[in-house]
Amino acid sequence: MEYKYIGKSYIRPDAISKVTGKAIYLDDIRLPGMLHAAILHPEYAHAKIINIDTSQAELMPGVVKVVTGKNCNFHYGDNIKDLIPIAVDRVRHIGEPVAAVVADTVQNAQKAVEKIRVVYEPLPVYVDARDAIKKDSTLIHEENGDYWHLPTLNPQPGTNVANLYQLKKGKGSGGFEDADVVIEEEFLYPLGSCAAIETHGSIVWFKEDNTIEAWSSSICPFIIRDDLAHSYGIPVSQVRVHIPEIGGCFGYKSDITVEQTIAYIASFVPGYPVKWVASRAEDFTSTLLGHGIRTKMKIGAKKNGKLVAIKAEILHSGGAYADTSVNVTIAATHNCTGPYEFEHCDLTGLTVYTNTPPVGAFRGYGHQESQFATERMMELLARKLGMDSFTLREMNYLSEGKVNSLGETMWKLNGDIKACSDKVKDSVFSKDKLNEDENYFYGRGFAAVMKSPKGAPFSTKGCYIKMNIDGSVNINMGGAEVGQGLRTIVAQIAGEALKIAPEKIRVYTELDTQFSPYEWQTIGSMFTTQGGRAIIRAADKLILILKQTAAQVLKTDVDFLDYDGEFVFLKNDPSVRVSIEEIARGYITSDGITIGEVAQSVSDARLPRYSNPDKNGQGSMGVEYTFGAQAAEIRIEKKTGKIFVDHFTSVFDVGQVINPLQIRGSVLGGVTISVGATLYEKVEFDTEGKILNPQFFQYHIPTNKEAPKQTIEFIENPGSVGPFGARGIGEHPVIGPAPAILNAIYDAVGVDFFEIPVTPEKMKKALLEKQ
Amino acid sequence: MVEKISFSINGQPREVEVDPEMMLIDVIREVLSLTGTKHGCDNATCGTCTVILNGKAVKSCNTPVKKASNGTLLTIEGLAKGKELHPIQKSIAESGAIQCGFCTPGIVMELYGLLESKPEASETEINNALNKHLCRCTGYEPIQDGALMAQKIIINRKNY
Repeated sequence: MEYKYIGKSYIRPDAISKVTGKAIYLDDIRLPGMLHAAILHPEYAHAKIINIDTSQAELMPGVVKVVTGKNCNFHYGDNIKDLIPIAVDRVRHIGEPVAAVVADTVQNAQKAVEKIRVVYEPLPVYVDARDAIKKDSTLIHEENGDYWHLPTLNPQPGTNVANLYQLKKGKGSGGFEDADVVIEEEFLYPLGSCAAIETHGSIVWFKEDNTIEAWSSSICPFIIRDDLAHSYGIPVSQVRVHIPEIGGCFGYKSDITVEQTIAYIASFVPGYPVKWVASRAEDFTSTLLGHGIRTKMKIGAKKNGKLVAIKAEILHSGGAYADTSVNVTIAATHNCTGPYEFEHCDLTGLTVYTNTPPVGAFRGYGHQESQFATERMMELLARKLGMDSFTLREMNYLSEGKVNSLGETMWKLNGDIKACSDKVKDSVFSKDKLNEDENYFYGRGFAAVMKSPKGAPFSTKGCYIKMNIDGSVNINMGGAEVGQGLRTIVAQIAGEALKIAPEKIRVYTELDTQFSPYEWQTIGSMFTTQGGRAIIRAADKLILILKQTAAQVLKTDVDFLDYDGEFVFLKNDPSVRVSIEEIARGYITSDGITIGEVAQSVSDARLPRYSNPDKNGQGSMGVEYTFGAQAAEIRIEKKTGKIFVDHFTSVFDVGQVINPLQIRGSVLGGVTISVGATLYEKVEFDTEGKILNPQFFQYHIPTNKEAPKQTIEFIENPGSVGPFGARGIGEHPVIGPAPAILNAIYDAVGVDFFEIPVTPEKMKKALLEKQ
Repeated sequence: MVEKISFSINGQPREVEVDPEMMLIDVIREVLSLTGTKHGCDNATCGTCTVILNGKAVKSCNTPVKKASNGTLLTIEGLAKGKELHPIQKSIAESGAIQCGFCTPGIVMELYGLLESKPEASETEINNALNKHLCRCTGYEPIQDGALMAQKIIINRKNY
């Protein structure tokens, strides 16, 4: 299909403000009378608080208030209300806020916070879910099961299991009776940090008129607003949340992270805005971590390679509070089949309380963690069956007419996994493999991937369009721009829908819950799909308003009119027309009487027929599945064990490319993040729950020279939900790199790894053992 | 101890009264309210705080302000001439190198330090310069593209 503005590389509208240093991020905001907070973190990852002595801190220069959680009596959270803004009588992880100082400057607050003395009584520390889940383990939350939680969640009182999710399809484990070959392995995708270059921060201001105003580097202003209103017993309308530019998210700035803590601190100094921005160490220790998922997987197949049954146990080290991890576990569980059909599924997901910072979203949201297992298992199974692994995959792909673990049928509109796989196979595996030389081993590895949509019963996205008197257009939405480029996409989709050049469309910049249309949260690679649909629905309404006014002016029926972005005109005679400038604010007749409505409209869109899981853990995620295939070409240095990803190839069926430059950027960055997870990144804990590498020089993320060269292609089988058939792409590129690289390691040297990161030390050791 | 320190920043003479050990980033951001220079880590690893001091790219988070005494500073705010962007800004904006934009000012200043003093820098030198910066969004390729586009414009400009 030919489009005028879709499929072209428009430059993002925020490029100039960002490249001139004028874009305003959270830490750039200065408010009159603003005070600064510093937060005390505990010496122990799990301990009872016996006493807090704040007397010395109170005497320090510049100190306005010292805050503890002594009288804090509320919990909060979006899925499970197990969170507290500040420790009351117990600390559960090493980054927990214990006390805080509000002072005139950051430096004075930090100096004073060091003077607070706390006496603790240490408790046993569990970093790994395998330890926390043991029968005699100390309960991290004695209240587990008593907290308010979504009706779909299933906490296990008297244990550290915050949620148990079970999915049964077909005969479940009974399906293994039909299998000729069964394999079983365990995989680990360890705790990592999203590590955006901008750390988290918030400003909260309790005002004398009993309203609350907040600013945060978050993608969920409406959740923050609802949650603060609930905690402080005021109407939701009385909380105003602003979101400035966000310096990267990658997951961990979703849900509620630091806002409730800063609000609690600010509530002690009403009338003054209080700002807190995490240091890099605090960003690692006091916000959300990601991953931490161990996958035990058993797969059964027929001799000919037909997959029959899958049993998986997803053991998720969910951190000290499970509000943000439970849904990651669930996503990891039902998506662990990868892009394959299994007639029988027995899938269990356990979110376990541990003594690490809370675990939450990380770009990919459970998919890369459990499909890491699936895509390694496909290679292991092919080897056991003596089959080519492409043939094995191709026999089992979730193609048109197949049914996934949730019981949803796949349609052509979900895209063509086989076509993606074929393109990668041709581009990477049709040439000869490089032979080992003096210095290096060479290998290639493949992974096919599936991404489910991420919905919730109220996961809608709103859009407000107003047309101006010159025919230009303003669009306001609630989607958070974290760098993904949604403002460009909004302009292009609206341009196409309204037949107006994107240059004439001004897209909203900052979010403000006082003015922004409602949006649940900007997560799950759903903005283009859902937000784009909302734009088209609003545009259709706006065009109808123009036609209704024009019908009166041109003395005809609405359905006899057409619209081209400049005029509304008679279908049979385009010369009988009225310009949109004349009708954008209603049409002024010669005697000054105005007829018709102002051309403005509101709409929203959600995933069609999203439903909660039923008693078997099945349900509808909302139609929009996306498939792709990826491959790594690697080199292993014999002397050091260092792995170089020389080339990485990705092909996704995205339905419709909206902006080629931006979509390439999404994949480039997504792949690079997961190359980091595969080769370098792991948040390291000691046995006492202290984080050993909370700095960029210790927690290494990929640099320019470590980023692979990439080949990126797209297939465009239009979807049914998104604008012009477009599907999401934000998270998808992160799913395949880990299994593709580990499959390539096996191809290169015949060694199987089951855990990441594969560091040079581990690789070197494996090479020596093999010799 | 507070001292008077003078320097030129973005073409304007300024005098600040601060502790001479105060880091340049804090003077730039907190004293002078030039918030384009970003704070991304606490130990000179991420490169977002890079500014130009006496023609060279330096990390302002580990440069005490006394080193700028009587010197010449340039920050991201001083690069464009009115609405006319510097070639590096223009190229970086067009090559897809900007996503969240938080690392952008530091990278632009790094490239300015390299390409304005050495327009014929090799691709290796450009890649070495970019390797001092962390970007979590782009996978770096569009930044390399932008750097090479900018280099062409700068070479052509110098030839006239």
